[in-house]
Amino acid sequence: MKDCIDEQLISKYLKGDEESLEILIKRYLKPIYSFVRHFVRDNQEAQDIAQEVFVKMWRNLKKFRPEYRFKTWVFTIAKNTCLDWQKKKRTIPFSILDNNKEEFSFSETIEDLRPLPNELLEKQDLTTSLDRVLGTLPAKYRMVLFLRYNDHFTFREIAEILEESINTVKSRHRRGISLVRKLLT
Amino acid sequence: MRKDYEKLFAYLKPAEPPAGLFDRIIIAIKQEQELQHTKKLVFAFVSLLFISLITIPFSWSLLIGQLESSGVLYFVSTGVSDFGTFFGLWQDFSLAILESLPITGIVAFTISIGLALFTLRLFLYRKRLLLKYLIYSFR
Repeated sequence: MKDCIDEQLISKYLKGDEESLEILIKRYLKPIYSFVRHFVRDNQEAQDIAQEVFVKMWRNLKKFRPEYRFKTWVFTIAKNTCLDWQKKKRTIPFSILDNNKEEFSFSETIEDLRPLPNELLEKQDLTTSLDRVLGTLPAKYRMVLFLRYNDHFTFREIAEILEESINTVKSRHRRGISLVRKLLT
Repeated sequence: MRKDYEKLFAYLKPAEPPAGLFDRIIIAIKQEQELQHTKKLVFAFVSLLFISLITIPFSWSLLIGQLESSGVLYFVSTGVSDFGTFFGLWQDFSLAILESLPITGIVAFTISIGLALFTLRLFLYRKRLLLKYLIYSFR
């Protein structure tokens, strides 16, 4: 049963097999919680939102169309739930770097010969620093970077999840990387 | 700028979900299931109540009207007042009563009473759940 692909598990659950749903939730609990946790940056809120994501997923399971990838679909629910939470909170994260521009300066497009941030961070607590830096990034960049490097989604999949064009996603990715670099150096 | 940042982001550790979150999610889904079930039950209860409230007086008046015009009451009262004749001619009497029975009215009234009893049974069976939901909805 655990070897079944997501779509098979959904099909089994819809036929009345309760265990399939549990396997599906267990499979996505960590990536979804992690995604939400990096977005909201609060353990309690992350738990509530992750719970809401899975309840929404369950509620809409009948509407899931097998031609879509389940992983992308569930992350779209997570993204929308996070954005709803942000709207409810009505707080704008402080970031002087969020200028809402997707364009880049010429300097960002040429090859950079300076050392990589990982080289600069060798003597530091890399995980903590990176987490802190990501926390200061505007959500739109943070989401792209997290989906790309934590969940290993392709740009096309990220575009599907975020309901944006692939060029916007690539642009946000470059901008996000650039911001991480600025904040780490 | 075009460098591989995979290495750097390898340091990004995914947050571990706390123990108990899975159970919390399963409980929340079960509660949601229960709520959906209650909603369906309330909808069924309200619909049946509405239908039976409309059909009982209507089917009752239909039954009374048909009983009065059918003459069945005449045969019954004759049978009751004159037992000797009734028992002597019971086959003819029974046939006459059966022929004059207002079948449509009886069927309609029986169905509406059955519906009302089923609604009452549904209410008594899940009264706590239904009352709780109704009170919560109208508050």
